[in-house]
Amino acid sequence: MSEPSLVIGRGKERFQEPLTFLKCLECGTENSRPFKEADYVLKVVEDEKCPKCGSMKSKIVNIYVPEKKTPK
Amino acid sequence: MVAEFLAFLNPATGTDNVLSFLLSLIWIAFLMIFFLYPSFGQRMQLSYMLRDLEKKLNRLKAIKDEIHRVTVDTIKRVGRPEKDPTPEIDRLSEFFIIQPESMDPYGLVYKLEHILETGERTYENEVAKIAPHATEHQVKSLTNLVEVLRGINTLYRVVRHYYLLGRKTSNIYMVLQIQMVLPMIIEIAESYQQAATAFSKGQPIGDGVGPLVAAKLADGREKERYEIAKDTIVQEVEIENRKVYVVRAAGPGGTVGRPGEAVKQLIERLPENPKLIVTIDAALKLEGEETGKIAEGVGVAIGGPGVDKYKIEELARSRGIPLHAFVIFQSITEAITPMRESIAKSADVVIEKVRQLILEKVNGGETVVVAGIGNTIGVGV
Ligand SMILES: [Zn+2]
Repeated sequence: MSEPSLVIGRGKERFQEPLTFLKCLECGTENSRPFKEADYVLKVVEDEKCPKCGSMKSKIVNIYVPEKKTPK
Repeated sequence: MVAEFLAFLNPATGTDNVLSFLLSLIWIAFLMIFFLYPSFGQRMQLSYMLRDLEKKLNRLKAIKDEIHRVTVDTIKRVGRPEKDPTPEIDRLSEFFIIQPESMDPYGLVYKLEHILETGERTYENEVAKIAPHATEHQVKSLTNLVEVLRGINTLYRVVRHYYLLGRKTSNIYMVLQIQMVLPMIIEIAESYQQAATAFSKGQPIGDGVGPLVAAKLADGREKERYEIAKDTIVQEVEIENRKVYVVRAAGPGGTVGRPGEAVKQLIERLPENPKLIVTIDAALKLEGEETGKIAEGVGVAIGGPGVDKYKIEELARSRGIPLHAFVIFQSITEAITPMRESIAKSADVVIEKVRQLILEKVNGGETVVVAGIGNTIGVGV
């Protein structure tokens, strides 16, 4: 009568952490990293180096949980 | 001793055929149970159901305790209160709002508005008191968090009520009713658990897609910004010579603002009527539908108790302003848990659609109001 699998099975897809997408204000490169507290969309971040040009100013353009890629 | 007993049961060595006698006795006993006690089967079923219910109730309790723990920890971490906030949090989790009397419906919306606003203000003030070091935006997100706790607390209490009542009265139909909806309740409870995590960290949620569209629409184009109603701002932007007033809740704290009052105040201040009011909101998808699907239509896309929707409808009707709406489909779970990629991606598509709509329906030099509806947690200005 009870379906433990229904309740337990769902457990594995829980707690997916969102990613923060930063766009460099100098060269426009976009890169992502795991979400950190106090991040928010449109926040200007001044303490993270752009991996391409080394500029310290970037803006958060998106925060979301990436879709799971279906294994092929 | 054992050997003697086995010998006694053995038809070959026993005095009489004792084993078959015992077996028939058991069978007769069984038959008698079903004759004298016709609801025996139902009783068995009931006890199975109650056991199942108890298991799920324990699961609910575990989720509730987890959310409670997250709430207390977050308030301690962010608010740094001097004394333990647990008793205050427990008190707030039992807080209630009494719906206004609807026997006489005249003015009901404003009564409801008044009660909801009082509740919201009280709640926010109470949370601010137990989290003295939290910023204004953090207080709003913490208020959301305590509201999630209140939601799961109510859910748990209702399920427990039916479980205990069913057990007390041995009423299978009572138990059946709660058992039927329990899978859905568990699912909602699990999304509450994720919502609590999102609110404690300030992550944008699926419902925030409306403010996200508004934020991205105004980003870089903003000419002026001002607060027009509590927690609600207007950003003036220009899109190809059309004046666009973007209305949204002020982020990045968790709040939905007062979009109804804001649009009303805004339009009353404007020298001439806008050509169009566009609302953008998340909407509940049907099972099997794709998350992030965009639909457009007419009317006011605002969920919730209906006060904001009513205000905009009333104003638009009296001034003859057309109402357009865009909705982004998602499930109830997706709406209150961290934003999915597909929802974030559709925000960009909606912005383009809104632009197209404005260019098509509004002439150069005219004005339009665009309102992004939803909880703005994690979406800044
Ligand atoms: Zn760069």
